[in-house]
Amino acid sequence: MRLLRHPLGLISALLLAAVVLAVLLAPVLSPQPPGLSSLRLAFEGPAAGHPLGFDSAGRDILARLLYGGRNTLGGAVIALAVALVLGVPSGLLAGYYGGWFDSAASWVVNLVMALPAMVVLLASRAILGSTVWVLMVVLGFLVAPSFFRLVRGIVANVRRELYVDAAKVSGLSDTRIVSRHILIVVRAPIIIQVALVAGIAISLQAGLEFLGIGSGDSPTWGAMLNEAFKNIQRAPLLMLWPGLALGLTSGALVLLAAALRDVLEDRATAPSASRTAPDARATSKPAAVEAGERAHLLSVRDLAVAYPGTGEVVRGVDLDVRAGEIVGLVGESGSGKTQTAFSILGILPEKGRVSRGSISIEGQEIVGLPERAHRALRGTLVAYVPQEPMSNLDPAFTIGSQLVEPIRYKLGLRRAEATRRALDLLRLVEITDPRRTFDSYPHEISGGMAQRVLIAGAMSCEPKLLIADEPTTALDVRVQAEVLGLLRRLQRDNDLGVLLVTHNLGVVADLCDRVAVMREGRIVERGTAEQVLSTPRDPYTRELLSAVLPLEVN
Amino acid sequence: MLSFILRRIAAGVALLFVISLLSYTLLSIPHIDVGRQLLGHGAAQDLVDAKNAALGLDRPALVQYLDWLGAAVRGDFGTSWFTSENVLRAIANRLPVTLSLMIGVTLVTAVLSFLLGVWAGVRRGAVDRFVQVFAVLGYALPGFLVTLVIVLVFAVRLNWFPAIGYMGPSQSFTGWLSTVTLPVISLSIGSIAGVAQQVRGSVIDVMRQDYVRTLRARGLPPWRIVFVHVVRNASAPALAVLGMQFVGLLGGAVLVEQIFGLPGVGSMTVTYTTRGDVPIIMALVMFTVIGVILINLVVDILIGWLNPKARIA
Amino acid sequence: MNRSPALIALLTAATVLAGCSGADGQAPGEGSRTLTIATMTLPQSLDPNDANGSAMPFFQAVYDTLVKREPDGRYSPMLASEWKYSDDQTELALTLRSDVKFDDGTPFNAQAVKANMERFRKGGGAQAKTLNDVKAIEVVDDTHVTLRLSQPNSAMLYYLSDAAGLMANPADFTKGEALKTKPNGTGPYELDPSQTVIGTKWVFNRAAGYWGGKLPYDTVAISYFDNETAIVNGVKTGQVNAALIQEADQQISVEGHPNVKTTKQDFDFQGILLFDRAGAVTPELRDPRVRQALNHAIDRQTMLAKIRQGRGTVTSQVFGPTTAAYKPELDTYYTYDQNKARELLKEAGHADGFTLKLPRIPAIVSEALAASLQTDLAAVGVKLVWDDVDQGSAVQRIFRDRAFSGMVMNMGQASTDWVVVGELVLPGAFNMFGYTDATVKSLLPKIQSKPAAEAKADLQALNEHLVKDGWFLPFYRMTYLHVSDGSVSITPQDGMAVPSIYNYAPAA
Repeated sequence: MRLLRHPLGLISALLLAAVVLAVLLAPVLSPQPPGLSSLRLAFEGPAAGHPLGFDSAGRDILARLLYGGRNTLGGAVIALAVALVLGVPSGLLAGYYGGWFDSAASWVVNLVMALPAMVVLLASRAILGSTVWVLMVVLGFLVAPSFFRLVRGIVANVRRELYVDAAKVSGLSDTRIVSRHILIVVRAPIIIQVALVAGIAISLQAGLEFLGIGSGDSPTWGAMLNEAFKNIQRAPLLMLWPGLALGLTSGALVLLAAALRDVLEDRATAPSASRTAPDARATSKPAAVEAGERAHLLSVRDLAVAYPGTGEVVRGVDLDVRAGEIVGLVGESGSGKTQTAFSILGILPEKGRVSRGSISIEGQEIVGLPERAHRALRGTLVAYVPQEPMSNLDPAFTIGSQLVEPIRYKLGLRRAEATRRALDLLRLVEITDPRRTFDSYPHEISGGMAQRVLIAGAMSCEPKLLIADEPTTALDVRVQAEVLGLLRRLQRDNDLGVLLVTHNLGVVADLCDRVAVMREGRIVERGTAEQVLSTPRDPYTRELLSAVLPLEVN
Repeated sequence: MLSFILRRIAAGVALLFVISLLSYTLLSIPHIDVGRQLLGHGAAQDLVDAKNAALGLDRPALVQYLDWLGAAVRGDFGTSWFTSENVLRAIANRLPVTLSLMIGVTLVTAVLSFLLGVWAGVRRGAVDRFVQVFAVLGYALPGFLVTLVIVLVFAVRLNWFPAIGYMGPSQSFTGWLSTVTLPVISLSIGSIAGVAQQVRGSVIDVMRQDYVRTLRARGLPPWRIVFVHVVRNASAPALAVLGMQFVGLLGGAVLVEQIFGLPGVGSMTVTYTTRGDVPIIMALVMFTVIGVILINLVVDILIGWLNPKARIA
Repeated sequence: MNRSPALIALLTAATVLAGCSGADGQAPGEGSRTLTIATMTLPQSLDPNDANGSAMPFFQAVYDTLVKREPDGRYSPMLASEWKYSDDQTELALTLRSDVKFDDGTPFNAQAVKANMERFRKGGGAQAKTLNDVKAIEVVDDTHVTLRLSQPNSAMLYYLSDAAGLMANPADFTKGEALKTKPNGTGPYELDPSQTVIGTKWVFNRAAGYWGGKLPYDTVAISYFDNETAIVNGVKTGQVNAALIQEADQQISVEGHPNVKTTKQDFDFQGILLFDRAGAVTPELRDPRVRQALNHAIDRQTMLAKIRQGRGTVTSQVFGPTTAAYKPELDTYYTYDQNKARELLKEAGHADGFTLKLPRIPAIVSEALAASLQTDLAAVGVKLVWDDVDQGSAVQRIFRDRAFSGMVMNMGQASTDWVVVGELVLPGAFNMFGYTDATVKSLLPKIQSKPAAEAKADLQALNEHLVKDGWFLPFYRMTYLHVSDGSVSITPQDGMAVPSIYNYAPAA
């Protein structure tokens, strides 16, 4: 398991395991039964056979610690079990099916969350008796909504996602969809939540004990702590052991939750890097070094991009883009073409870096350039058109403000001028009602419209080089053609150099002057578009071509 | 917007009604002999019965509930069985204490946990580990222990703040500030730990969003991206947690109110529920629920403002 | 015309105030003196009907009692200037002050006494019980009233110095529940409604033109706390001027602070009240030898040393040192002797032991007490089972359902013998099964008809019998600590845990 590589996660997991084991072995490890009291020995320090000494009633502290752990942890387990049983299935159903069940369950959840917990705990204790178990069952009931909300939210999101739709179409039953796809997605957040709630249950139980809402006769860490508190002047050290047990256990649970979250996050962060899987064998023959002098607008030589742990995902890439030229960078997803584009822009993910090579833009070397100086080039010299139109607009701001912001910042225009310019830009990218789009939020416009907005954003500070990363992939065919037409027009009108990253050979045929084909982090073939498409030399290029030919060429 | 608020209020009223019924049932089951508690152990049975009859406790629970409901709807919550105080006045006297704490803690938590969370989420590395350790400590240390240490050090030993009691802000603003400072600090430690973690998580999530990369590609400086775009987008989930914390504070307030001898609704809840003072508890429950409904409403409106996608037309 | 009475009242008040300041001549710079007392008692209301022992200070501020009880237990005049028993002790003649008026001008007189006492008897509170023996209240004239008793009651003066002696304005008796929140008496202070938050803090200001001697404080505030930690911190920081601290650990904490002044008082005894001497719930308890065995089985010295940190005195008797019945040698009557306990059980035919079920109220029975009793009793074969009860349901289970054979109590040791007898020996709350025996029956009439001093021999005989017959299972008398922040000198009140409101004075 990946968790084992996380040091804090490993330590806390080991600590918890040790605690659980000790508690389970209480009958073996305890020097005497936990209730056995000899008042004469009260407050006595460690003695032979009693390594931790005696409490205020002359009971063995170690025995009470071990048996108390049974009740404390057992109570937390019960609280969790109740919360999971109530919260998870109902959350699954509500999130997956929605409808009346969702409304009804959500209403009940609101009700439970509005109940004053203290009154419910006290009243149920009066009715059901004062044992730690009763309190924990009630607590489980009270925290069940947090699981419900968590699961419901995730499932509702997942349900809308494509792969579930696809699974549905292919004739799987609901139960199989739930067990195959949805449970996998909710599993991790539930585990994190479990660790957190367990920690809360344990410390809450101690707090209740302090308020006199106790566990009766059965030993718990909370009861021990409270009893120690009542004798804090006489024997302050009594606080030590139960305090440590409580603190370490709930601390370990929180750390474990944090570690789990980190591990999951890391898995989510570096997908492109891990999928790229640099091929050390490098079977394909090294691409012929691009002959001749370096282009002025953009010239990349021997570029390598590396990630810690995964190594180089791009290696030995040479690339040139001249003004007024569209260069296609073609390859399957994970071939390193996006990483190449990001390194030109200087926006590699936090852990990635250019490990070798040279990138020059307008004659200026940018590898090793301070971030501030590099930033000055972005927007004004080199601009970026991203792949997914919707996810590349900030959902919290209007289209207008997102266009105006860089204009004001980069070009120093005043608000009114910047607004006018933004509206002109929207007109430029052939949006029919610029004012309305200007005032809209991203979720209020279509994908094609959003891609036009992003192109407008890229053009806003009059760059000379445009890096377009799969600009049409997420759009439907008709809109694709329109956006490509727009790009071509802009390129011609402004004499732009464009690096077009794509996997789509049809787009290449349509648009590009020259092409470079990438595979496994290397460039395997380059040439004019015509040359590469009609007489490919590299077997991989041929493979790519044959896959698309029947559909695209014509 | 208006119709949204109206709908929420209607749902809230329904919620209030159901919760009042549930609570009354819950409080009626253990059947504490109120008359005997009031008159003392030694009282003769007929006098106890008479007392119970005078309080209306000899009637069926449902009748008692309907009676209560009828009066409550007219704003009459009766008088406490155990201290003879007017229930509304009793709560009005104690609510400012607890509200001072809750609002103070929420403000302190909001500001500090945002600073810490954003700092940790953006910088990662050592800062991040520091915030994580703080969060773990906040969880791991039992709240009452932290509170006791704070009182002993800052009030009893150093005499910087009063150890007990409360002063209304209208009476003396500085007095109010000095009486709530330590309790607010005590309560804030735990809640900052929780919310800062949440903010950190959301910030990290947002930092990984495509639009942040695109904003970088537009040449905007990092501070601008963080403070304008990341903070706003990370606020919505953090706000939801903050709202839940606010509600949860009612429970946490009990402990702090007891240790600081603050006459708030938290310690009132425990004292009066243990005795079975139904008029007071019912009113407390009702006010808590109204508070929760209002807070949820405010949080939802704020989240809608922060995140237009979540806005309800 | 309508305005004149108000005007006159205003003028009178002004003159009185002027007179006061003139006569007393408090130094101008000294300012007003405030006393803040912390309490853990929440009074049900400020209607004398709801008054009880530990809430008395609240009532003493606004009401006067007929008889005043001095700190040492002597009775002195208050609203009644003189009193006299008839020879057969069945008539108590009271002479009242003639110069006392309620705020609204209603005179305090014999009619008012009659009205108050009759209201107590109908009110159903604790006072109804203490006035049980009052057959009739006879108004002789405005300043003379006679109480006719159905049988001699040597505690009557005590009651009249306690809650049953509190005199409220009869004019308010018809105003529904007004007295509960708007007390109306002749006392040294008046409730300040603007500063008072019922349930939290009660503020009393000096009453203008109080008929009696002036108390040293202009304002008395009584604050309620639900735990001693907060009180101790308040005393240390001077936010609380005076309080009573019961828990041993809190006592240690407060004693260590340089500013704090302390005064010790032994008041409550802790022990098991064995109601079930007739064996209704636990048949084994019917045999005195079994009750004696229980008394021998527990290790009082160790309990005192460990549970109370030695703060108290072990005892085997329920009478306190200030009573006539008290015999010092009875404190150590039962020695810790498990063999003897086992022998006694064997003689009683319970060599195999039995099970004793007691309620456990965590506020009274600490973990250490619960565990050590269990261990000590188990050692002689008695299985002690604790039944955890909530404070709320405890009263119901113990007193109404009579579900238990006994309970651990912290009982105040009144200094008036008959009060002790009334509480613990006569059928009633703490003798709920109404148990009695021949010795007790023969001694009671002799004690009842005489003042305690004269009945000393009979009282001691009764005490000795109760101890030897194992009526109770007392552990020890507990030392309580009166603490002040150093600004107040506190005089403990004999027979009460909380000092009377009159017992506080600025420290010299």
